[in-house]
Amino acid sequence: MSSPIAERLRGAVSQAHWNVAVALLQTSGVLQAAEALGDLPFEQQQSLFRRLPLDLAAAVVAQFPYYHEYVLLHSLPAGEMRALVDEMSPDDRMRFFDELPEEAWQRLMDELSSAVAAETSGQHEPETVRVPEQQLPQPRETIIEGRQIEKCFEQPDGREIQIIAPMDLSVESDTIFALLGPSGSGKSTLLRILSGLTAPSSGMVLVHGQPLDCCSPNIGIVFQSFALFPWLTVLENIEVPLVARGLQHPARHRQALQALAMVGLRGFENAYPKELSGGMKQRVGFARALAVNPEVLFMDEPFSALDVLTAENLRGELMELWIKDQIPTKSIFLVTHNIEEAVLLADRIVVLGTHPAKIRADFRISLPQPRDRKSAEFLVYVDYIYKVMTQPELELGPITKLPCLRKPSFQVLPHATAGGMAGLLEFLNDRGGKEDLYHLAEELLMEVDDLFPIVDAAVMLGFADSRQGDVRITLAGKEFAEADIATRKKLFREAVLCHVTLIQQIQNALERKSDRTVPLEFFRDVLDEHLSQEEVQRQLDTALNWGRYAEIFTYDSETDRLLLNEASGTANSSEAVPLH
Amino acid sequence: MPMRPSTNNAFSRPAGWGIVPVGATSLARELPIVLGGIGLFYSVITFARYWSGPVSSQAEISLHPAALPKYALFSVLRIAIAYIFSFVFTLVYGYVAAYNRKAERFMIPLLDTLQSIPVLSFLPGVMISMAALFPSRQLGVELGSVLLIFTGQVWNMTFSFYSSLKSIPTEMREAALAYRLSGWQRVWQLELPQAAIGLIWNSMMSVAGGWFFLMACEMFVLGSRDFRLPGLGSYLQTAANAGDTRAIFWGLMTMIGVIILIDQMVWRPVIAWAEKFKLEQIGSAEIPRSPILTLLRSSKLLPFVTRSLVLPLRERLDLHFAKEHETRSLTKDKNRVLHWALRAVAVVVLAAIAYAVAKVFASLATMSSAELRHIVWGAGATFLRVEAVLLLAALWTIPVGVAIGLRPRLSAVAQPIAQIAASVPATALFPIILLVLIRAGGGLGIGSIVLLLLGTQWYLLFNVIAGATAIPADLKEVCNTYQLSVAERWRRLFLPAIFPYLITGFVTASGGAWNASIVAEYSHFRGQTISTTGLGAIISQATDSGNFRLLLAATVVMAVMVVTINRLVWRPLYALASTRFKLEG
Repeated sequence: MSSPIAERLRGAVSQAHWNVAVALLQTSGVLQAAEALGDLPFEQQQSLFRRLPLDLAAAVVAQFPYYHEYVLLHSLPAGEMRALVDEMSPDDRMRFFDELPEEAWQRLMDELSSAVAAETSGQHEPETVRVPEQQLPQPRETIIEGRQIEKCFEQPDGREIQIIAPMDLSVESDTIFALLGPSGSGKSTLLRILSGLTAPSSGMVLVHGQPLDCCSPNIGIVFQSFALFPWLTVLENIEVPLVARGLQHPARHRQALQALAMVGLRGFENAYPKELSGGMKQRVGFARALAVNPEVLFMDEPFSALDVLTAENLRGELMELWIKDQIPTKSIFLVTHNIEEAVLLADRIVVLGTHPAKIRADFRISLPQPRDRKSAEFLVYVDYIYKVMTQPELELGPITKLPCLRKPSFQVLPHATAGGMAGLLEFLNDRGGKEDLYHLAEELLMEVDDLFPIVDAAVMLGFADSRQGDVRITLAGKEFAEADIATRKKLFREAVLCHVTLIQQIQNALERKSDRTVPLEFFRDVLDEHLSQEEVQRQLDTALNWGRYAEIFTYDSETDRLLLNEASGTANSSEAVPLH
Repeated sequence: MPMRPSTNNAFSRPAGWGIVPVGATSLARELPIVLGGIGLFYSVITFARYWSGPVSSQAEISLHPAALPKYALFSVLRIAIAYIFSFVFTLVYGYVAAYNRKAERFMIPLLDTLQSIPVLSFLPGVMISMAALFPSRQLGVELGSVLLIFTGQVWNMTFSFYSSLKSIPTEMREAALAYRLSGWQRVWQLELPQAAIGLIWNSMMSVAGGWFFLMACEMFVLGSRDFRLPGLGSYLQTAANAGDTRAIFWGLMTMIGVIILIDQMVWRPVIAWAEKFKLEQIGSAEIPRSPILTLLRSSKLLPFVTRSLVLPLRERLDLHFAKEHETRSLTKDKNRVLHWALRAVAVVVLAAIAYAVAKVFASLATMSSAELRHIVWGAGATFLRVEAVLLLAALWTIPVGVAIGLRPRLSAVAQPIAQIAASVPATALFPIILLVLIRAGGGLGIGSIVLLLLGTQWYLLFNVIAGATAIPADLKEVCNTYQLSVAERWRRLFLPAIFPYLITGFVTASGGAWNASIVAEYSHFRGQTISTTGLGAIISQATDSGNFRLLLAATVVMAVMVVTINRLVWRPLYALASTRFKLEG
């Protein structure tokens, strides 16, 4: 039951008339070509595939299921494989990589990266590039190792809230390790545990195989807020850790000046931090951390407080020091919420999930430095991380063997405002209703941290749909985006009452009271059972914002009471969720 | 001086460890510093000789103006010594409260209560016990006065230090921890610098408060005993008693002069020097300057002393403590002895407090109902009086303060004058006001209100001025654009905008007024006693007649009332002010 094209193709291939076969495929449509190719025996498929021109091969291969696509790609030499992946249309490429299972994905990414490495090492002088192959032979040594570390915080009322689920995490030599996760995921706490600043609630941290509390590791830390002492000059700031190490004056002075020269701040020895720009302050932060010749350099969102250009510049200089081995540091541990930054710098990335923090993905990036943000591989990594971060239910990465922690039985509202959601939906609608999350963040100049809650909220209300790193506007969302203010409020009210438990509860409670008013404190108590106090406040703030926008209720801050908005309450009472 | 001097780049050039170049011009520049040192040395010697001298309870206070410098010196030294005690106490108490969770839980509420207790009611008890402790030496009475000044000025300094320690940014604290700073290095490079500005401003306030108490306790009559300390306060009182207008004038001038001198010689330079401890990371446009600091900084003598003594010493200490910290953190020796010693001290203190409280209650239980009624009436009268004073003060300070605050040019003239007027402690003026009142034929009923007003109005005035100055220009422009009437402006803008400042002023003024009522409602004047109904009068009277049970009861009632009013009225208002009426900025 094969098509005529398939018949002719089989004939040409069996007589080894490759030119005829290629021409045949070129003249037929992509779908038919793919079908005909797929009908051939596998060895012949491979032979023919190798001979196809790049554009045709890229178009045809995308028609196959991902496993077939994967094997076909592997019939090519590494260099050609990479060229082909580059040639594929972005949509096809993303879909393919999204569908690949974890292991195949990691292997393919490594292969592509080494192909890039081979190319670049051919062009540039080899010593500037850390080619993965050169490192692989010498095994990485574990410097700091966290074993089953867990962190719980005690609430003022005595309840314990688990911030970090027990996990194993180790810092190895010759590695830039990036810890990624949304805000509030406990990344910074994890950094503090591994660096010895905070003790874990359970589990232990080993430094070179010895417990942390009997030997202090040689570390440097760079902080988000710089944490410089404003009353000390730049030089005195850098000398602070050296004094603590008991270094005598001349040696201390020399070492501090060296560190200062390394970050390019000679001449600013006697300036006070307040005289410096943000970027220069963070340079002092780096100099202070590097002055002690740390074995591990911990960095807690070191570039977040800087403007985009300054951050880019500083990242570049840091990488130059690292690649050229100008710093004695064996390992860098970076905490960030900036996905691109992580892919740009890291050799290994761990993505954390929230409530409590657990490892969602752990993989290596073997792309050579310096990395090109526009390269296909780079984008694939970025997209993959977006996928992991936007789909909390997806089980990815090394599955934790622990008993699954009980899912919260209540709904946690993403901290987004109604206005933010409206803005997002309008933007999506203008863009034809679908956008890649990464591009969205890039175009809106937003950090992931700010974007995710808005997307999550839109999804929760049924206005949008998020799958595999894309957001898509739904019909309801489209209607909302195109409506006028009054209609928007109506649509929003319906959506909120249909999807948001907390607001349903509030409305029910208000309707049952004869005076149509309930103290906010009541709902605070309800939420208190599940969440930390700050989180309770944020939940209520969000619910208030949504409910007020939807004109379901008003809130009087003086009496701390909610009042039912009668007009809308009666109008919608038919749609309201029935009482228990 | 609590902080090490600015080293700047002196230390980065070891070649500069030279000698002092001596020349005619540089000598002229060093002269004030050298003379200042000699003067300080002389005054300490004089004071020490006087202190160890025999008791002179009936010391004659000479009204000759030539005696004034000596009296001023004595008064200043009393305040200085009390300040040193306060400073040490502040460091210890603040440190323990900030770092010991368990201790913090009772130390901070305790501090809050101590802060609201009217110190003046302790005057008699402290004086008598101190005089009994050193019966043959002047030291006892002197120590009593120092102790009282201490209790008057220490609490807000301690609070400031504690909250500074608590507000050290987490990441800075972590930096200190990650880089393994020794306790010594942490104190000098993190904690004291962080607390410096708050400590300095609170020190200024405390010392101003110190003058208030000093005036009250320099001349203190208890029954037949007359504890008289040579000083400015006793001079003014004696002068008022004698009705010597010329002496009063000279005394007041000296007092104002001394206060201005201290401001210029001590506080201005210290504030200018402390500029570098500001935590804000951006350089501010207005930098406080002080000619004295400039003089000190341009001096060659001080850097020489710094380089040859202070810096090497600091270097040795830094390294010594660093080494000790390193070894101790490795051996994990948790200083158990100190730990248990602290615990023992805490237990003893708690036991002592419990015993004292039990004693107080036992003694109060024997009160007669007449006495109780007396106290209740008095408390009511003083309460009304204090509220009336606050109302009166608000009535004139709000319009005047807003008027000054809104007009920068008026403010430039009025602020310094008001500051000088406010710097004269109300207790110093009491005898003079009494003199005027009695000449005019008024009683103490109205007189005490005037006296209280005198002591408390400034808190309100300065806070209102500060609040009015802080009103953003664009809000004022909004009022102009929409042509709001004067009444609307007050209702919509001025009153809400100054509200937080007003409340701060009220809190301080209310506490001050209760305290001052002890001096204001009852007075010895020219051999006769004049008084009016009130809790303060009861306290003073009980003191005079040696009725310690009544004294105790009245003091407890006053403390309880002040604490209750603070909790029930001012705290909630303050919370409201810091949420609803806060101008973001």
